[in-house]
Amino acid sequence: MNVGLLFDVAMGGLLLGGLYALIAVGLNLQYGLMRVLNVAHGELLMIGGYLTYFLYVDLGMNPILSLVVTGPAVFVFGVFVHAGLYRRLLRQERTREELEANSLLISFGLLFILQNGALLVWSADLRGYQYLDRPLRIAGTIWPTNRVVAFATAAVVTALLFLFLRKTLAGTALRALMQAPVGARLMGVNVPRAHALCFGLGAGLAAISGSLLSMLFELTPFIGLPYTITALVVIILGGLGSVGGSLLGGLLLGVVESVGVYLTAPDLRMVISYGVLVLVLVLRPSGLFNALARRPGQAEGT
Amino acid sequence: MISRIARRTFLKGAGAIAALAGLPASARAQMGPVRIGFTLSATGPYAVGAGITQAPNYQLWLDQVNAKGGLQIAGDGRRPIQFIEYDDRSEIETAVRLYERMITEDKVDLLLPPWGTAMNFAVAPITTKHGYPLIGPTVGSLKLKDLGLPYFYAILAQPDAMMQALAAFLGDVKRQHQLNKVGVIHVADLFGLEHQGALIPLLKEGGFEVVDVKGYPLGVKDLSDVLRGMRAGGVDLFLGLTYPPDTILATTQSRTIDFQPAVFYTAVGTAFPFFRDRFKASAEGVMGVGAWNPRVPFPGAKAYFDAHVAKHKKEPDRWASAFAYASLQILEDSVAKVGLDRAKIKAHLDTTEFTTVVGPVKFTRGINTATPGMVGQWQKGEFEVVWPPERATAKAIVPKPKWE
Repeated sequence: MNVGLLFDVAMGGLLLGGLYALIAVGLNLQYGLMRVLNVAHGELLMIGGYLTYFLYVDLGMNPILSLVVTGPAVFVFGVFVHAGLYRRLLRQERTREELEANSLLISFGLLFILQNGALLVWSADLRGYQYLDRPLRIAGTIWPTNRVVAFATAAVVTALLFLFLRKTLAGTALRALMQAPVGARLMGVNVPRAHALCFGLGAGLAAISGSLLSMLFELTPFIGLPYTITALVVIILGGLGSVGGSLLGGLLLGVVESVGVYLTAPDLRMVISYGVLVLVLVLRPSGLFNALARRPGQAEGT
Repeated sequence: MISRIARRTFLKGAGAIAALAGLPASARAQMGPVRIGFTLSATGPYAVGAGITQAPNYQLWLDQVNAKGGLQIAGDGRRPIQFIEYDDRSEIETAVRLYERMITEDKVDLLLPPWGTAMNFAVAPITTKHGYPLIGPTVGSLKLKDLGLPYFYAILAQPDAMMQALAAFLGDVKRQHQLNKVGVIHVADLFGLEHQGALIPLLKEGGFEVVDVKGYPLGVKDLSDVLRGMRAGGVDLFLGLTYPPDTILATTQSRTIDFQPAVFYTAVGTAFPFFRDRFKASAEGVMGVGAWNPRVPFPGAKAYFDAHVAKHKKEPDRWASAFAYASLQILEDSVAKVGLDRAKIKAHLDTTEFTTVVGPVKFTRGINTATPGMVGQWQKGEFEVVWPPERATAKAIVPKPKWE
């Protein structure tokens, strides 16, 4: 066993894990607040990736800078999707089970529409560009420059999200709604507005993750779903509704996948991911990092 | 855009009706189009390959034949071709169902194959059962011989021939450069498994040190961990038995982790112009399965290349595209000689040596034995044939220049 190589592989996984975390945080925010599981999360990511691709290839915009466009653009799209598809659903008083089932169906529909729409507009051709895809040498180790940059950017975006949730009034309202929906309502939190903000935020974060991923991997209209699944694994690892848990869960999954694949074979990547998922579900159903071990329904804040 | 297409379709339809109206009723029945059915993956993981290698050539051929007034049928003059096409969504069971449907419900005259080894494998028993000849341009499998599918024809050099060519080429490299350490990755589907199964014994026979052999699933997202292992293991000869998305992935990630083997070989997708355009200077020296380019000395090769560029505003890929087109040339020739009787077409396929854009093609028990296995290499923007020597359009560059 080559320890240096193992470290190398683990760090590679950690870098990818940072992106997994960012993808999962957006999805988890939506679920924690609205009990809406957006299966089309990966498709929003895919759209973010394509936007960055075209901004870079056609307009020469720096892919990192393009986040300033893709994030807000898809945020607005998310707000519209919320207004058009979810608002009525959420307004009706129903049981949580009904709400979860119906919102799941809606997002499945959205998934197919977005995927096929992308196929019509952009075709199934592979698309990718070269950006910082050179090795970066630090103290005798070799790092893929684009992964390091993507990881750092994801970290900055996540930090900004935390600041927003902690320090601003809107963020506080979101956290309040997550912790105590009834209490927050009584304190005058505008629920439909908070929901729209939250859904848009989740969509925008998906787009930003997609923009970063487009620096690393080729795009097709079908890249989304595997990331949604990865995000679900991360969310369950970290605890439903727990943003901090998603962060740690993402990093952990990245490392476990990479080291596991290195020790076994790439065929087993999905087996490893799902193996971790099953273990956590059996041993700690509330998530690895949910210190209070609450039931999934009673999600905590950040 | 939409209105333009609609108008064109309308004009075509109107023209056809006007033409038909002028004919006596008896002639009209015979003049119906020749209906040719197929599925191609417009969605799913096979869509990329299908959209590059098969769909454009089917369309090009359709246009060319119909521009000539239709398909020449022995004893029946020319009749236009009409395509009956479906999206199999890269799902094998969907493709199987659709081929059954095209035969039993749509009652097509002829069939063209879907994209990819596994797909062809799945539909070939059905088309054979109903006696429809099928010439697969994207099929590489040794098991075809064992299955006993008399109506199925494979036009590409098969895994044994392909891997023998690769091993012979590597033997040459070994003698000249004393490079010996091999690393192999392969996609874990029929294509990858069979090529790997054919290659590994040849490598051992050739006295190579096989450092690592790793399989990975279709649609893999990350290969960097495996490539890091190969870099650390000192692999000189990297052989990827890959499909298009993973060909790109392995190349990108090798660049980013500074994995610099002397031979960098990947399989399906390497010969795509997209590969060259994507990697620009870094494509230089990358080797791949194949190969074909417009400078091969066969009749119609350059004309085909130019027609493809003119119609689709993109170049054909430098391997199976030309074979896809050649398989249509063969079908066209067969129908011109023996008509639409499918049993006669089969007899013609079994006994004739065809002249095509990929050179002579001769089927021996369903497999084209006239085309040898080949190795290609990107050199200054063209995918040159570098092995075997009698087919080469350029000399191989080894070691590969470092990634730009």
